[in-house]
Amino acid sequence: MSLYFGIPILLVAAVLQSAWLEDLHVLGGRPDLVLLLTVTWSIIRGSNEGALWGFVGGVFSDVLSGGAFGLWTLTLTLVSFLAGQPWVHALGPTLIRLAMMALVGTLVSHLGLVGLMTLLGYPVDIGRAIRMVAGPAALLNVLLSPFAFTFLVWFHRRAQRRPGSFAE
Amino acid sequence: MRRNSGPWLAWALLVLALLLIALSESGAVSPLTSVLGTVISPIERGVSTFVDVLGSFGRSTRDIQTLQEQVEALETQNDALLQENFRLREYQAENRELRRQLNFAQENPTYDLVGADVVEQGCVVYPCGKVVGEDTNPYLSYIIISVGSRSGVAVGMPVVTGGAAMVGRVVRTSPSLSYVQLINDPESQLSAMLQQSRVNGIVEGSMDGEILMTDILPDESVNVGETVVTSSLGGMLPRGLILGQVEEIDYQESDLFQRAQIRPAVDFRRLETVLVVTEFPQPNLEELETP
Repeated sequence: MSLYFGIPILLVAAVLQSAWLEDLHVLGGRPDLVLLLTVTWSIIRGSNEGALWGFVGGVFSDVLSGGAFGLWTLTLTLVSFLAGQPWVHALGPTLIRLAMMALVGTLVSHLGLVGLMTLLGYPVDIGRAIRMVAGPAALLNVLLSPFAFTFLVWFHRRAQRRPGSFAE
Repeated sequence: MRRNSGPWLAWALLVLALLLIALSESGAVSPLTSVLGTVISPIERGVSTFVDVLGSFGRSTRDIQTLQEQVEALETQNDALLQENFRLREYQAENRELRRQLNFAQENPTYDLVGADVVEQGCVVYPCGKVVGEDTNPYLSYIIISVGSRSGVAVGMPVVTGGAAMVGRVVRTSPSLSYVQLINDPESQLSAMLQQSRVNGIVEGSMDGEILMTDILPDESVNVGETVVTSSLGGMLPRGLILGQVEEIDYQESDLFQRAQIRPAVDFRRLETVLVVTEFPQPNLEELETP
């Protein structure tokens, strides 16, 4: 079961996002570590496992947010579920798919987040959100996606070799 | 788990996530967030400390570090002096107001008068919290601090820096963490007044992270550079916490109210340690109810 190592990885990623990355400004924005990992896992292992990682990563991100609980959970589950769909395989080699899903996934998740917040009555400037937050985050996630892929594939293979591990 | 085991799990998780949002709005997920917050808080604190330590190791030479320490010490000293100055000005303005009231009493000897404070400032307990992180949602101006309900922190309590400059208000707590809505968050609204002219208004955050003072009547005189402090209207905040200074005034004759842009007294990106005001004397609003 991938969550044996997924839970600690996603927990550390959410904590790093809050304690470190929120202070970091590269190219005017910051990457979304949890989103990047869940989308990457979805590309590697398919939509069901991706959704499971998205859900767990979303819960951790929501715990480290003062907003309504479940916003990250819903958006990350949805985006990770979509990123692992069979039709995504038709988009080309793994790294191209990964980059495209990191880009589209980031934009969709931010739009989802903003949409849900608007529905709940929280004022968000959508144009500014895309320009100042979602756009730079999507670009950074694309740049970081090969590293996330290499890291998770390494973990995946290591866990597969261990008897009684998650892999089937 | 099988890769092709059908999408039922994903759909179930999506429905569960929707349910979480609905339950969150009614406050029913608080026990869950408390438990998870308790688990995460030592990790968050550890990572925060590690990041701080790593950051300090990264500085290239000892000289730079020494200079930086000196600059930080001077900045702290400067902040303390500025805030002390603000507080003295607050006392001066209060003194002026009391003198006016005394004059009024002396000029009207036939009146019976009873003096009263709107809300006395005098906080007695200040749990001190380290800022351990920022909100993972980039559209919220919140910070996470390392004290929670176990230290007596509750929703609505004001959070200040050492020199009584207001940072924000607690919006959610877990046993060992609290989530603080900064005063520049678009949903933040505080009753405030200008320290020198005693003009009242509402200080609110905006979507681009700026702070504005609104609802200032058109005939009020507002000056650039005036200090903005919390007022005790509504009884939710102690009076006199520093919010910032008027930077720019925006008013056109067609507008109902004046609006002032405020330069915050706090650099929200450099917050390290804050204090939570857990108690301050509040007026008994029940006495206002008609019998």
